[in-house]
Amino acid sequence: MRGYIARRAAAFVVTLLVVSLLVFVVVRVLPGDPALVIIGPDGSPEAAARLREAMGLNRPIPVQYAEWLGGALRGDLGKSLQYDVPVGRLIVSRLPVTLPLALMAATLMVVTALPLGLFAARHHRRVGDYLAMVVSQIGIAVPGFWAGLLLILLFSVHLGWVQSGGFAGWSTGLWPGIRSLLLPAVALGLFQAAVLVRATRSSVLDVLREDYVRTARAKGVSELSALGKHTLRNALIPIVTVAGLQLGQLAAGAIILESVFALPGLGRLALGAITARDLPVVQGVTLFVASSIVFINFAVDLLYVVLDPRIRYD
Amino acid sequence: MRRVVGLLLVVLAACSVAFPAAAPAQNLVVQVATEPPGLDLTATPASATAAVVFYNVQEALVKVDRHGKIVPWLAERWHTADNKNYTFFLKRGVRFHNGRELKATDVKFVIDRAMNPETKHPYPGYYEAIGDIIVKDDYTITFTLKSTTANFLLNMARQGSVMYPREGVETLKSEPIGTGPYKVAEWVRGDRIVLVKNPEYHVKGLPKLDRVTYRFIPDPNAALAALKAGDIDAAMFGIGPEHVPDLQKDGRFQVIIGETTNDVIMSMNNSRKPYTDVRVRRAITHGINKPEVVKGAMFGLGRVLGTNVDPLNPYFVDMSGAMPHDAAKAKKLLAEAGYPNGFETVLKVAPQYYYTVRTGEVIADQLGKIGVKVKIEQIEWGQWLSRVWKDAEYDLTIIGHAEAWDIANYAKPTYYFRYDSAEFQKLFKESEVTVDDKARRELYVRMQKKLVEDAPVVWLYIHPRLAVTKKGLQGLWKDLPLPAFDLSEVAWAK
Repeated sequence: MRGYIARRAAAFVVTLLVVSLLVFVVVRVLPGDPALVIIGPDGSPEAAARLREAMGLNRPIPVQYAEWLGGALRGDLGKSLQYDVPVGRLIVSRLPVTLPLALMAATLMVVTALPLGLFAARHHRRVGDYLAMVVSQIGIAVPGFWAGLLLILLFSVHLGWVQSGGFAGWSTGLWPGIRSLLLPAVALGLFQAAVLVRATRSSVLDVLREDYVRTARAKGVSELSALGKHTLRNALIPIVTVAGLQLGQLAAGAIILESVFALPGLGRLALGAITARDLPVVQGVTLFVASSIVFINFAVDLLYVVLDPRIRYD
Repeated sequence: MRRVVGLLLVVLAACSVAFPAAAPAQNLVVQVATEPPGLDLTATPASATAAVVFYNVQEALVKVDRHGKIVPWLAERWHTADNKNYTFFLKRGVRFHNGRELKATDVKFVIDRAMNPETKHPYPGYYEAIGDIIVKDDYTITFTLKSTTANFLLNMARQGSVMYPREGVETLKSEPIGTGPYKVAEWVRGDRIVLVKNPEYHVKGLPKLDRVTYRFIPDPNAALAALKAGDIDAAMFGIGPEHVPDLQKDGRFQVIIGETTNDVIMSMNNSRKPYTDVRVRRAITHGINKPEVVKGAMFGLGRVLGTNVDPLNPYFVDMSGAMPHDAAKAKKLLAEAGYPNGFETVLKVAPQYYYTVRTGEVIADQLGKIGVKVKIEQIEWGQWLSRVWKDAEYDLTIIGHAEAWDIANYAKPTYYFRYDSAEFQKLFKESEVTVDDKARRELYVRMQKKLVEDAPVVWLYIHPRLAVTKKGLQGLWKDLPLPAFDLSEVAWAK
């Protein structure tokens, strides 16, 4: 196991290096100049040129990359061109929004998808199954931003139960914080759940056909135990794989939904940074998201061992 | 126990007599679409920065008021005998937010800094004419100009000329200190900026609000929902004109429609064929039905423009009828220029500004009728700035120019229009050194006529000021003669 962890750690470092190099090159090759975005069309091109020089953007790309990498290794991701504050501090300041949002969305995704998938598989080719599949199809087809707007219209504008957007902040209390993340978490989580319902259904269906499930039932095991203990546990490996991938996708979904709900999270930071060509922030956020995804994948791999004792990483 | 409760009640009753209920706090939550790229007015010309900082947090020696007139501000008066030596007499008792009084040495420091190329001021040109700055005493300062500059006072009123203390330079970008009616209390990046009342403000009785929160809501639909749900009190920029009729009918809101200096123009690359030929440029102008463009793209809101001088400028001349829509004339001009069957061209627009795409679609349809096939290419804002604005890699493009008095752009042959007219440049140069109002007006009229004749771009319409607020909010400026957003006199009706 130790050897496996060492190998994974090495792969982690290589992945981050490749990602950082890729992002560094891509954002610099793209047309668009941070100095021009800051100066804007009402300023003078000469002022933009001076700013560009001051930002150090006229130096060769390899020199800039080496400098940035050196800083990153010391834990310094540079300073935001737009906000003039350290990138690390910016990312940390956005986590209290994005992390709970992702957590709430992931929880919603799992608690909705697992029972619905199980239910569909249990009622295979019957009304319940078709109904669950129609619901999940709608979930897959409806774009998150549109669902978000519909939710705002219903729960904020018409019913007035929650605010239409913005983040109350955890300093105002636990409930106001959760309340402001509720609608975006639903928009983000429920629609991710749609995919997981299908994965759960097909995986459970496969296991339901296994002999040991038939044997369990023949022995008179209760239906709940047959489904939960004998079927779901064995069906979990593909479900966890899909759920892990979807956790990564939550980051992409957050970019759009944080804009719709005007939440000061990591997604909106990334979007604003791309528009403003705030290169250090784009790099920092990408690196952070990439690390999180690699970490989630690693956690999923470790979970396999827990779920299936036959799996060994030695 | 009963005694204790009784005693408490007596104390409470006494308190309520001694301290009558305070007036409810006057707070305002305002939506803005774009977060400022830093709060330093001496480093960025962004209108998103001006919307928060200019007039609210920082002010200049003189001010452009709500009617577009230059009035004394931090300087209580000024004097010039020869239009070359300007003496400003500072108002006494004006304090920065850090408590220190504004003195003439601060003014010298600020303008010296703006003139220093090292500080990367976005408009060094505004201070080029200044020769000497002499501090006569704590409240008197004289500027000696190298040459007469007609716009000197206006330049001193612009957002880049705001006053700040020497000790506040380091925090200009994140927490600017000024003399304004509000102080920056908090900037939660990505979410909001909070301003609080400056109790020491130098204008008695102002500001009227205790707290102003700017919330950044980029999505126009989300902004509308927030307004309807009561989460914000006002949407200043960002509600599209398509929502205006509906909001005007809604008794909860008031819609403010006013003029701005934001000229929406379609530029033609004057250095690229076929737009090098003035006949083609005139044909394009005649091929566009501007009232229909305003109707189709802006739901009828926005004044049709004829040249680059906006209606809030004192030298505005209504030229909107000078080159009217005339498809037959357009076709004839195209044939004369050697394009009897029209030509194909590409229109680059940045969807970040919704009106550019909508306007482009209507124009593409109209130009199709004179044989000019327009292909619309949508590009991201950063790319637009690089490819179109900086490198002039385009045929046609549409954008709003928000800066006031920006006719100067036509006198720069390297500007992205690539319009190079020696005659216009001479007229402009003359207008810059002509101080006599009548003579200057005459020059402005001639410049506007010259522009109409040469048709370097098509001036389409003024992007209207569209603000929607809850009923009862008073004191907002109807027109915006500068891209500023003065909240000092804004208050809720009692």
